Amino acid sequence: MSSVPASVTRLIEALSELPGIGPKTASRLTYFLLRGQSDLPLRLAESLRDLKERTRFCSVCHTITEQDPCPICSDPHRDHALLCVVEEPLDVLAIERTEQYLGVYHVLHGALSPMEGIFAENLRIPDLLRRVREGGVQEVILATNPTSEGDYTAAYLLSKLGPLNVRVTRLGRGLPMGGDLEYADQVTLASALERRQEL
Amino acid sequence: MHIRSLSLENFRNYVRLEQELPDRAVLLCGSNAQGKTSLLEAVYYLATSGSPLSANDRQLINWTAKKEGMAHIRLRAEVVQREQVREISIVLLLEPDTQGRQRLKRRVLIDQAPRKRRDLAGELNVVLFLPQDVELVTGSPAGRRRYLDDTLSQIDARYSAAQGTYTNALRQRNALLRHLAEQGGDPGQLEPLDGQLARSGVAISLARRRLINALSQHAHRTHGELSGGKEWLQMVYQPNFDLTRPPGIVCQTSFQESPGPPQGISDQDLVAAFRQQLRERRREEVERGMTLSGPHRDEMRFMIEKMDLGVYGSRGQQRTAVLALKIAQLAWMKQETGTSPVLLLDEVLAELDQHRREFLLAQVDQVEQALLTATDLEMFSPSFRQRATLLWVEKGLIQPYER
Repeated sequence: MSSVPASVTRLIEALSELPGIGPKTASRLTYFLLRGQSDLPLRLAESLRDLKERTRFCSVCHTITEQDPCPICSDPHRDHALLCVVEEPLDVLAIERTEQYLGVYHVLHGALSPMEGIFAENLRIPDLLRRVREGGVQEVILATNPTSEGDYTAAYLLSKLGPLNVRVTRLGRGLPMGGDLEYADQVTLASALERRQEL
Repeated sequence: MHIRSLSLENFRNYVRLEQELPDRAVLLCGSNAQGKTSLLEAVYYLATSGSPLSANDRQLINWTAKKEGMAHIRLRAEVVQREQVREISIVLLLEPDTQGRQRLKRRVLIDQAPRKRRDLAGELNVVLFLPQDVELVTGSPAGRRRYLDDTLSQIDARYSAAQGTYTNALRQRNALLRHLAEQGGDPGQLEPLDGQLARSGVAISLARRRLINALSQHAHRTHGELSGGKEWLQMVYQPNFDLTRPPGIVCQTSFQESPGPPQGISDQDLVAAFRQQLRERRREEVERGMTLSGPHRDEMRFMIEKMDLGVYGSRGQQRTAVLALKIAQLAWMKQETGTSPVLLLDEVLAELDQHRREFLLAQVDQVEQALLTATDLEMFSPSFRQRATLLWVEKGLIQPYER
């Protein structure tokens, strides 16, 4: 009974499978693409194809890359003795944007959360331990998120890295720039006080 | 403290309510099912961020509003404490999560700034007394634990935080134990959770012990007065993990007033002892796929002499014990915070005899503000009715009562 062309319904259905997008938003996006005069639909199609065909995970650090090993892992100017452990590939980008970090990375692809069915064996943890055991790494920075899952993962990694003769550090925790002391939550404020610095 | 104004949006049968409240006894009159109890429920929700009557917050949304797609609740109170006014509001909003499912999100605001749930501690303290509260004596241990948690969280943000950590660690740990039982894996994953569970569990257990000791002392006195010196009530804490005894010795019942942990034992020692017990029972826990020790299995009993009121008490004795408990809570909160909580009494007079009624109404005169519901005004003495402000509740609307 539907008079809408199949190519349109197919796109709507595909878009609604994305997180946070319902059928309503999916139709709106579809009709936007349909009406627009630009080459946006073609550019989108091309990038989507590339995403699937040209990107893969780096065999060393497991971040998203087009070449393997990724540009960071194959850069001889970076400090390969300094290893930063993050949950997701996007966290690598966030740290890279600071332009302060010259070490390399290890992406876990998640954080421990048994409730959601994520256990140590589902993360790139054995591979991290192998990298450290192989030698050359002097410091591991645990940069998992400051959430209960991130803290849990960091504590678990510490228990595994502890015996491996490597320095283990955790990303500092404190007050956000431009924040207001009055509105800071108690946990953050307490931790900022605890880790205050000599000026 | 007292509530200066209360506003409700789409809560139960209130579509929209803006109500000023005086700092004295307020009698909410009206027939059944008009919204008297819902008003007390809303005030309790603002104090504890949870309903005493419904485990599912979705049931609180006004039915008509939900039907029309207006799926949000807004509760707001202006609370006067030590001559300062603070605005507390809680918004419940249906929002799609990352998977696109509709979830009820809760936002807590204090003076319009977003805050955490635990920041509500000390902002609005209440003592609620419902007719079904007799179940605190007769009902399941879970109900008693909920009562202890709600009471402590109202005034202690650290307790609230410990409880949040404990609940989360417990859920993660049980899921992990099930996984280890079914599919195996590294048991080392338990260690960080054991640490979280032990640290927050010790904090919870110590706070509950202090609370129960204090409540028991107050209630002992009140109950003695109520029973004409014939019976003496005690509340006894039966922790699942007993900090006063070394691990390994299981103590089923203790009729003595629960003492604190032995002198000279630090919190760190207690945490270490808790972890030791978790380690000793690990094999059994993996087999059964659940956490077997900790405050999530605590119990509190109401005792007269050596008789457990929950099991052997008469209905009258059980009611008197709950009355003594609530009056004890009132005294304890006053003592801890230096300000009197708001008393919320829902149709409780009907269940009490003349003597106990007068005793309870004398407490009402002691607090800054009390909200009482009543279908039958005759239960209140003429002088009490004269002192109180009377409001008429009908179909989710409130008007002055025509005397």
